[in-house]
Amino acid sequence: MDAGLAEVRALEAEIAALRRACEEPPAPAEDAAGGQKSFQEVYQSDSGGWESSEDLRSHLGHLESELLFLSALTGINIRNYSKKTEDLTSTEMTEKSIKKVLQRHRLSGNCHTITFQLEFQILEIQNKESLSSVITDLNIIMEPTEYSELSEFVSRAEEKRDLFMFFRSLHFFVEWCEYRKRTFQHFKEKYPEAVHLTEGASSSCMGVRSTSQPGFELVIVWRIQIGEEGKVLPKLDLLTQVPLGALELDKNRVTETAPLSFRTLLGVLGIEATLESLIKLLSTEAND
Amino acid sequence: MELANTLSTHGESKGGVLAHLERLEIHMNRSRKKLEEPQGAQAVGSALGTKIQKLRRLRDKLRAEVKQRQAGVKASTANVEPDQTLDMSEQEVLERKRENLKAILQAYRFTGLSGKLTSRGVCVCINTAFEGNLLDSYFVDLVIQKPLRIHHHSIPIFIPLEEISAKYLQTNIQHFLFSLCEYLNAYSGRKYQADRLQSDFAAFLAGPLQRNALCNLLSFTYKVEPGGQSFPFCARLLYKDLTLTLPTDVTVTYQGMEALSTSWEEQRASHANLFRTKPLHQVFTSFARKGETLDMSLVS
Repeated sequence: MDAGLAEVRALEAEIAALRRACEEPPAPAEDAAGGQKSFQEVYQSDSGGWESSEDLRSHLGHLESELLFLSALTGINIRNYSKKTEDLTSTEMTEKSIKKVLQRHRLSGNCHTITFQLEFQILEIQNKESLSSVITDLNIIMEPTEYSELSEFVSRAEEKRDLFMFFRSLHFFVEWCEYRKRTFQHFKEKYPEAVHLTEGASSSCMGVRSTSQPGFELVIVWRIQIGEEGKVLPKLDLLTQVPLGALELDKNRVTETAPLSFRTLLGVLGIEATLESLIKLLSTEAND
Repeated sequence: MELANTLSTHGESKGGVLAHLERLEIHMNRSRKKLEEPQGAQAVGSALGTKIQKLRRLRDKLRAEVKQRQAGVKASTANVEPDQTLDMSEQEVLERKRENLKAILQAYRFTGLSGKLTSRGVCVCINTAFEGNLLDSYFVDLVIQKPLRIHHHSIPIFIPLEEISAKYLQTNIQHFLFSLCEYLNAYSGRKYQADRLQSDFAAFLAGPLQRNALCNLLSFTYKVEPGGQSFPFCARLLYKDLTLTLPTDVTVTYQGMEALSTSWEEQRASHANLFRTKPLHQVFTSFARKGETLDMSLVS
């Protein structure tokens, strides 16, 4: 009955959201966090009185540096955040001392160049013994990026309602992308003649052309995959471009077996050394 | 950063009634889409079916009501426009900013990683979850000096903290923290599945569920029909990769006499496949669903 139960849950969540939309005063719409509290409330909850602007400023400074620190520590910048809560506790539940609260969160920010906007709901149910918190709905909106790999991953994270996996995999993904870019750039600088980055350093392809034998080209395709459980793994492939005439002379079928040998090499040498040895192979010919 | 521009187009801060309503509408449309897809295909149990019908009717009523309100608000927005920030004193602006910053700092817990500055460094909190269920949190108290040092922590002893910190703590703190997240979330996820099996599907188990501390080796004997006379199956699940919540090695054996009969062999193989691809408690939910005739009190 999973599908049925899921529908009931979804319906209940939507009804709660609609109810709230009806009850809400129409004027000041959703604002940044805390914006809806009356100022009086804020003072009461915080300091119990008026503070001097100076104190406030220094406190703000502290908070700002703490925020900078956190975003450096995690690599994730949160720019906007707001939260609304709704008490779903019925009188029947109160009698049994059960508390049921639905929180609706909106959060936006970025991880390196990738921006995201999240909307999620957390249903909290507290009874005498335990507190359970469940993410009942997760929506992820991302600006279109050059990374097409991300969209499939995003729908999987939404489906599993796995907020933490989203951030974790996003971090590892971005880390790999940066590494790939640095590596490609490094080789381009070191071997400017042989290495070609026709689609830019952030793309997944690097071309290596023989400097002495025109027509011979290797293309390294370096994809970054996000697996079923959010694991981020690089996948490298080698494509060869060899003139037809040369292919006929290739009695040992070197060209045909090259992609496989490339895999083996990766396992032994690692990514950087493998790429370096390939580039050297094509560029040293020029010195002979 | 160059991102400031792209972000402001989201209009979070610009707010406004219209923008808000628009967002609400998008949200509603999205949930509606989600709701309508699975319709029809499933024949829903009668009690549940009635409930769904009732809820749908209520929802439609509310939707209409919200729409009506929207129309009303749209008509009156012209009068509400004047900028409210003009009336705010500087003090109020600062207060607002402070509350906003505080909220954002708290929101970091939703990334799975949050932290509080201490006198010596930072105390990092790592949150775990499995399929939407928010589970335990752990902390690592870091002393910021060269070299970085872990002062205290609540990471379970069987998580390879030393190995991870030796690899990444000094060179890449982000990688260190997210790797730790990966291990802890996977552990929480495996533990959650085993706990659910024990608590919700005890009737299927013929004997206790055995597990190690890491919850990466589980073994149990189970029957597909609780209380039935059939012989039980034995399952052994091994999670070789400690960052995963699905087993890497699955062995299911049948303990019955007619072990060679093809129908049992088919069942055995299909179970093994389920264990490999689905969380444990979901596999047992599907067993329970198959045995529709069985006493429902055993399952709930």
